Parts: sequence; structure tokens; C-alpha cells
Amino acid sequence: MSATWSATCFDEVFAADGVPRAYAEPLVAELERLGAESLVAAGALRDAIFMRQGITFDLTSPEGAVADRPFPLDLIPRIIPAAEWRTIKRGLAQRIRALNQFVDDVYHEREIVKAGIVPWKLIASRSHFARAAHGIRPPRGVYTHIAGCDLVRDAHGAWKVLEDNVRTPSGISYMLENRLAMTRLIPSLFAHFRVRPIDQYPALLHAALRSVAPVADGDARIVVWTPGPANSAYFEHTFLARQMGVELVEASDLVVRDDVCYMRTTSGLARVSAIYRRLDDAFIDPLEFRPDSLLGVPGLIRAYRAGTVAIANAIGTGVADDKAIYCYVPAMIRFYLGEEPLLENVTTYLLDDPEQLEVALERIGELVLKPTGESGGKGVVIGPAADERRLVELAETVRRDPTQWIAQEVVQLSTVPTVAADGTLASRHVDLRPFAIFGDEIRIVPGGLTRVALEPGSLIVNSSRGGGSKDTWVLQDSEEPEQEPVAAAAFTPPSLPKLRLRSWTGQAQQQQQQLLPPF
Amino acid sequence: MLSRIAHELFWLGRNVSRAELTARMIDGVFQADLQGRPDDPAGVTLSWDAVLAIMGSTASPPKRRKDAERPSRAETVALLSTDATNANSVVASLERAREGAHTVRDVISAEMWEAINAVHLGLADASIGVTGYGGPYSFVSYVKSRTALFWGVASRTMLRDDAYAFLDAGGRFESADMVLRMLRVALPAPGERPASSPRDGQALALLGAVGGLQAFRRAGAAAPTATAVANFLLYTRTYPDSVAASIDAVRSSLELADANPRASEPVLRLSRVLADLDFRGRVGRNDDGGLLEVCEIVGRELALADGDITERYFGGVMSPTHVS
Repeated sequence: MSATWSATCFDEVFAADGVPRAYAEPLVAELERLGAESLVAAGALRDAIFMRQGITFDLTSPEGAVADRPFPLDLIPRIIPAAEWRTIKRGLAQRIRALNQFVDDVYHEREIVKAGIVPWKLIASRSHFARAAHGIRPPRGVYTHIAGCDLVRDAHGAWKVLEDNVRTPSGISYMLENRLAMTRLIPSLFAHFRVRPIDQYPALLHAALRSVAPVADGDARIVVWTPGPANSAYFEHTFLARQMGVELVEASDLVVRDDVCYMRTTSGLARVSAIYRRLDDAFIDPLEFRPDSLLGVPGLIRAYRAGTVAIANAIGTGVADDKAIYCYVPAMIRFYLGEEPLLENVTTYLLDDPEQLEVALERIGELVLKPTGESGGKGVVIGPAADERRLVELAETVRRDPTQWIAQEVVQLSTVPTVAADGTLASRHVDLRPFAIFGDEIRIVPGGLTRVALEPGSLIVNSSRGGGSKDTWVLQDSEEPEQEPVAAAAFTPPSLPKLRLRSWTGQAQQQQQQLLPPF
Repeated sequence: MLSRIAHELFWLGRNVSRAELTARMIDGVFQADLQGRPDDPAGVTLSWDAVLAIMGSTASPPKRRKDAERPSRAETVALLSTDATNANSVVASLERAREGAHTVRDVISAEMWEAINAVHLGLADASIGVTGYGGPYSFVSYVKSRTALFWGVASRTMLRDDAYAFLDAGGRFESADMVLRMLRVALPAPGERPASSPRDGQALALLGAVGGLQAFRRAGAAAPTATAVANFLLYTRTYPDSVAASIDAVRSSLELADANPRASEPVLRLSRVLADLDFRGRVGRNDDGGLLEVCEIVGRELALADGDITERYFGGVMSPTHVS
């Protein structure tokens, strides 16, 4: 069965003839020099470091036992040459701009509906469509402050968008921790590359949140809102709060008085002007959404509507995140921006359409079926990997409510060499989630989270299902003018007095000291 | 207490502190150096030239240095970490600390002696080198944890008497001195165009190097420019490794140890420096040029205070005729 998809795929390091691609040559050479033994040793160190730092996730064994496992970072980085990154960056910025405009449109004029491009019935039936957001325009008209699109490369190496995540995309902390770990574990791999740094992400996020906060720059208090320590992404929430130097709050810390949001502190209520929330719309305000939500802050939407607090991402962005809406993104780009999409979608069938539904159900064993309102790989069925019974059940479920499903062609994800337990290399499938920040402008940190399927031939990259991740290196652009070497060469450090050693010593020690030649 | 002992303790503190700060600097700069130049001002770099300058030398590393070639990463790291023949290396500082601790074994607690003596044994372990594929990470984290252990057991097991005061004064004095050195190298020279300045990044690397990134972020919302970082590292009393906080700690320790602190040159001098720092921190010209000037003044004063300390507390043994 696996033969159907492991047939031909694009390897990012080795060309078809098994020769390394030009940009990957130094990497392959360095890996050969290191040998399997070093890689095994570095792997052991990695696990020790991750366990010590508590960068772990819970793995549930088939018997139901939950084990704390170190986050599976693969030691071989994934390299993206500068030219390819330029395409990705432009394509993502274009896509996110269109999605942002779409959200604005949905809750205001509905031009795209009037133009007959996206049916209103479809939009209004999406599970994340939020009536409460109608007519609210957040500061600067930014809705999708933080976005992470999942990209894959098809059998020809072309980049395609698999999913848009504009609710609360996660994974950024792993991207940053991966880089840090790589500089500690195998720094020699960096030697032949000029890798663009990514550690400016928290500063960019902070600046973006400040730029949309509805008060003067200096006074904007920003918080990260977590559902609590039990959440599986709690590590990321604490990570972002710590990196930005802002408070991490839970619902009980926030209170709304007279349409202004405050947090309770030891010195009284303190005004909050921007909230980076890490929970879904449905939970944030029991007065507007789910009345049973204990995680929410009553009155928050009123404050939001009054414009006294910015919420990132904005309320109602989930409608653009929906997988049925995904099909319309290329049309959106043409409609709002008047541009041709730079990044294509994966071929997708909208099961809402009776014709497409029949075609899809006929080929159900060859397609991937996804529920539209979910994220994180929940409910996804990969046809070629599913057994007959599962497919029959699935077909019934889909027939019952086809609007909640889409079908996609299986993409032969590209592969990158990955270290096996014994230190040898083997090709494994990868995807890429770059992260964009939308404040004053759209900024995309060079790289992203590369997820890798650790099972041979598997296309499942989710870490909860045995996937791992890789550090992602976007190379410095050699075409862009480099001011830096000039500036660095011009820099001559001032000369300081020598470091003092012991000022007074007995004779014996003086003699000893003379044995140490001054530096 | 004996001048000789006070002197040993003071330098024990200085050597332990110097080893730790050097190790942290190597770590911060090494990580920054692995990645390319940033396209954002928040990126990080501090050149190996600068690191050598901080360590008081512009000399080239001895090995394989071609004309006009800048010191290489591997050479500088090895030179400053494990090269026992270089008096400024981490290993040399730790070795001196161990010798000092050996001399005052009766004064410090047994646990402190163990903590410092074990470093010696631990560094002999081949897996803690800096030349392997793993770079200096394991070396640096080993040194950080051992020095932290030393200060930790010192604070739990040592009587708060003169001996502790001199040990602590030495450790904090060295922090002030090293951080000041880092600032003087990383701060933009007056008149330098900010756009062309590589020093914003340097300042940030420096902040990372002393382990103060998180503290800086929590302390305020300032963007991490060279100027903001320098202000933080100079004036912020609530940050323990800031120059002001370190000098304050040295002064407090000396005040405790001195029989007559009101007549003590080092205490008086440090008090004046602190008052000056407070004044400038609040009302001074805290742009780059102003900061650099402050750093130079404080650097000079620290050197004088170092002399004062030697003179007043350790001089007695060296020249028995001298009465302070």
C-alpha cells in the first residue's frame, strides 16, 4: 500500500542521480566527516538537554500509559536556499494579506459574496464563523496578526500550501528551541553556511502587538492569555511570555470594567491593551460565545467592540482558517489584490458540490479527507493508508454532512535525510510551517517549523503521532547587498588595560605565576 | 583577619567570577556567531576581535594566524576556554581559584573546597572539551554549574564574617569589571552612524552572554538597542550583574569587613562612584557618547578602587612598615 506514495518524491538534498544538490554539498560532506557515532552521541546529548529543560511532550503508548518524551528534534537541518525562500516569503505575504482582507470583508461589506465568488451559505455555515464579530474593525484593520501556513513540496519540488492556520498557530517555540539546540549540539554543521537568524521573532511579535494596541506606544500593556498549565501547548505560552517579557495570564486574572479590560495585580487593577490569546473564540467570553466556558472573561467582547483592547488574533478569524474556505484563497488573492497567487493550493475537492462529492467518494481510497473546522491533523484520513472498513464508515459520515469535509489529492511530500537510531541516514517526508507576523506590515521569520515523519514512507508529520521536527535554515542571500562585512571590518575594538591577576603574592607564588606567560 | 588570607579570598572570588563570566561570554558569542548576519536590528553578533579586546588583548591567537585574517572561532574559543597556557582562559582562572581555595582551605567550608576542587577533576574528562563537534556547550554549562554551586554552598555554609565579605567583594568586583569591559567594547563610539553600526547586535549578544536577556525583557519594554542594553547593564540596581548593583555589593561587603568604613578609601571611592552612577542614570546624557564616557570614568575609578583595596587591606603584609 505504501508503494502508492513512496513511488516518486522530491528529495531536497540528493538529486535523482544520488548526487547532493549544490547548496547541500557542504552539509553532506560534514555529515560524512562526523560519522554515525558522533550523531548517536549528539542525539543522546540532545535528549538529555531537552529532558533537563523540560522541552517534552506526552506520548501515549497503545497500553494507555503516558510517557514524557524529549521533543524529537532531528539532527540534520533542512536547508532552504535564499531564492526559494524569496518565493515562499512573497507568496505567504500575499496569501496572508488576502486572508486578512477576507476576514474584514466577511464581517463588513461582504463584497466577495456580492461578487459571487464565495457563497454566503458556505461562509455562514463554518464552525468558526463568529456573528459576534460583525461590524468590529480592530486597530489598523489587522485580524490575522499571527499566521502559520503549512507548506509542502510536491513530486516536482514545487511549493504548495496545504493549510492556512490563522487562529492560534503553534510551534514557534519549538522552532526557536530547535535552533538553540542545534548551535549547541552540532555547531560544526553551521560552519559552511550563512544561516539567517530567527531569534528576533519574540521582539517582532512584541512590536506587532504594541503597534495594534489601542493606546500610545509606551503605555501598552501586552499579555499572553493561556487556558492554563493543563493545555498541551502550555510550554509555548510560557515561552512566548518569557521571551517577550510580558505577563502570562489566565482568565481569572482578567476582568472587564466599563468596557475596559484590566488584570488583577498586587497593586490593584492594571489596564491591559493587547491580548495575545491562545484559546479559541468559543471560550473567550461566556456572554457572547459558549455560556459554559470557565476559561473566558465575561464582557471581553464588549471591551473589544468598544476598541479599548486589541485581541490577537482577532475574533472571528477562524472563518479564514476553515478548510472549505481554503479552496477559495487563490480566488481571494485575485479578487482583493488583483494578483496571481504565487503559491498554489493542493488540488482540493469541495464536497459541498454534488459532482465533486461523487468523484471524491469514488476515489476515496486515493485521496486525503479532512474535516473542515479542525486543525492539528484531527480527524484527517489518508485514503491509501486506511483499511476498507474505515473508508466505508468515512464515506457514510461524509455523505451525511458533506459541507464539513474536503478531499485533497495525496501530495508526495518531499524528503530530507534524517538520522536513524543507529546514526545512519534515511530519507523521511517533511512539511514546513513558516510563521508570519502582521502588525505594521507582514514580516516572516526566515525559516519555520519543519515537521518530519519519522516512520519510513509515512506522510504523518504530527508530533502527537510519532513525527519529529528539524531545524530549518534559510540561507543568507548572496545577491542582496551585504553591508555587514564592511561594517565589521571597519570596527576596531578599543584596547583595554590587561586583566589583572593577583596583585600581591608570596615569592613562591610569584615564581609560579612567571611560568604562565602573559597572554 | 590576616591580610594574606583576605587577599586570597578576594582573589578566589575574582577568579571564580572571571571564569564564569568568560565562559558565559564564549557561549553567547559562539551561538550568535554560528548564524548569519541579521536583516533585523534585533539580530546578534559580537566579533571574536571584540571578545579578545574584552579580555584585555588585541594580540592574535598564536596559531596559524595569516596576515589580515581575523581570529577564527575555533582558535579563540580554545584560547579562552581550555588553553591552560593562556592566563586569561577559563581553565587558568579556575586553576588559580583552586590554588587559592587550597591556601584558605581552613577558612572556607569543606563543601566550597570540594566544589572548586571537583572542577579540576571534572575538566580532565574528555567529554567536556571544546574542540569536538559539540563546540563549547558542555564545557560552558559545566563551568556555569560548578561556579554556581560554589557560590551556592558559600552562601549556605559560610559564616557572614570578614572572610565571607572579602570573598564576596572579590566576586562582585570582578563582575563589575568584566561587564564594564564588555560595555566599553560593545558600545558605539560617538558619531558612529547607527545604521552602519554592528553594535546593536553586539550589545544584545553581550546581554545574552551575561545571562541577562530575560531580565532585560522583564524589566521594561525598551527595544534591545545598544543604548538601551548599556543603560540596563550600567544602571539597573535590580539586575544583579549590572555595574551599579555589583559595585553596590562590593561596597556593602567592604563596609562589613572594614573596622572603620567611614575612613576607608575604597568604601568612600565606591560610594562616590555609586552616587555618580545614580545621578547620571537619572539625569545624565544617556545617549551613546554619554554612556561611553560614563563607562570610561567608572572603569578608571574601579581601577583606582582596586588599588585602594590592595593598599588598605592587603598592603600590610607586603610592606609591614605601612600602617593604614
